[in-house]
Amino acid sequence: MDGVLVTQSRVLGALVLRETRVAFGNSQLGYFWAVFQPTLSTMVLVGIFAAIGRPPSIGTSFALFFGTGIFTFQYYNKLTSSLMTAVQQGKGLLTYPLVKETDLLLAKFIFVSMTYALIMMLFYGCLIVVGEGFFPKRLEEVILALAAIGLLGLGGGVTNAVLLRLWPTWKQVEAILSRPLFFLSGIFYIPSEFPPEIYRLLAWNPVLHGVEWVREGYYGYYDSIILDKTYLLSFALVLLLFGFSGERLYRKKVQ
Amino acid sequence: MIEFKNVRKTYRLKGVEKVIIENLTMKFPKGKNIGIVGHNGAGKSTLMRLIAGAELPDEGTIKRHVKVSWPLGFAGGFSGNMTGIENIRFVARMYGEDTERMIDFVEDFSELGASMRLPISTYSSGMRARLAFGVSMAIDFKYYLIDEVTAVGDARFKKKCDEVFQSKLEKSNIIMISHSDGTLKKLCNVGCLLHEGKLTMYDDLNEALAQHSSNQMA
Repeated sequence: MDGVLVTQSRVLGALVLRETRVAFGNSQLGYFWAVFQPTLSTMVLVGIFAAIGRPPSIGTSFALFFGTGIFTFQYYNKLTSSLMTAVQQGKGLLTYPLVKETDLLLAKFIFVSMTYALIMMLFYGCLIVVGEGFFPKRLEEVILALAAIGLLGLGGGVTNAVLLRLWPTWKQVEAILSRPLFFLSGIFYIPSEFPPEIYRLLAWNPVLHGVEWVREGYYGYYDSIILDKTYLLSFALVLLLFGFSGERLYRKKVQ
Repeated sequence: MIEFKNVRKTYRLKGVEKVIIENLTMKFPKGKNIGIVGHNGAGKSTLMRLIAGAELPDEGTIKRHVKVSWPLGFAGGFSGNMTGIENIRFVARMYGEDTERMIDFVEDFSELGASMRLPISTYSSGMRARLAFGVSMAIDFKYYLIDEVTAVGDARFKKKCDEVFQSKLEKSNIIMISHSDGTLKKLCNVGCLLHEGKLTMYDDLNEALAQHSSNQMA
């Protein structure tokens, strides 16, 4: 028999590949749509805002400013929502003894992260080609920021999955609770455009810190007034601990 | 060898607790084919999932020192919008098998022909069973766990199943749930009776069957 790690990575690999099939399995182009669709729909949004002629808060390109916000937010949002239902969806796969619930969660995490990496490369690449954007000034900071957002999303998503198992109505409640995040995460603005009493409140939202971190890295010269990397990472760590210990505790309650 | 140690498994549905297995310590004998009998709803399928490791016990430990299959008999692990071939590839990758060899084997065994390239959702239940059965037979397990699988399919398929079973039984063993005494007698030599949370092993399958039918009468 192979080692545990070898088996584990084989199972994860098989699950991730399976995701690319299932995600858009019915359409001819399959996985292509999973990447192309969000990119395109955001480009339409960008086009509308650009037509209105709203100047960006940083730099000269509204598309680039909006993109650095919305894709970072979408990545987080997609993780928390799709991880929530990953175990329910993959229940049939638990028939295979090799597949554990954590595998379903991790495979989904890898799949979403991979997809968003492609989406962002496609989006920023297009902007560079049409002259609306430039290559990130500090790429390593952008990658670190996205990794932090990924961990936050993983922690939030696993926590969601545990809560959903204990309380099926959580899906609806979570949708209501997370709706305002779209407006609170700095997609359309930067915190310094608000008076201190407002942006201090906004700074409670860890996703905003992720967006600010991405923008600091991408623009190079942008200096956020609220960014606290330790806050974002601690938030992520707490959610991860909470989520995975909850998962371990309630794992036996397979429905 | 498969070993249960102080295993307890319960189900709780709407506040009602149902004990499936109460404090079971047992070694499943090496090199024997085991037939499991019990009332409907006694928890035979749950026992099977415990043996496979697809479900965890509430208390105690279950050790598997050999390669055990998943409980075979339904296509729960297949996804409807993937084709037959894609589903085979998935299992092959997971178990580290050669994908092409596995596809060839299943193609040959299941006789699904061009349907292998269609999504599973278009399959009939018989076709699904043929695929599921083919996929598990393509992998060499030490123990095959079979949950009423031989009930599906036509006579021709059943004959094929019997043939592949016979060849597998030279190197492997089966643990099987069936309500058909005939099937059990043909394939198994040891019997296990699951009754009211207690699992009893009988060295002679016929004893288990006799006890089971007297329980049914009571």
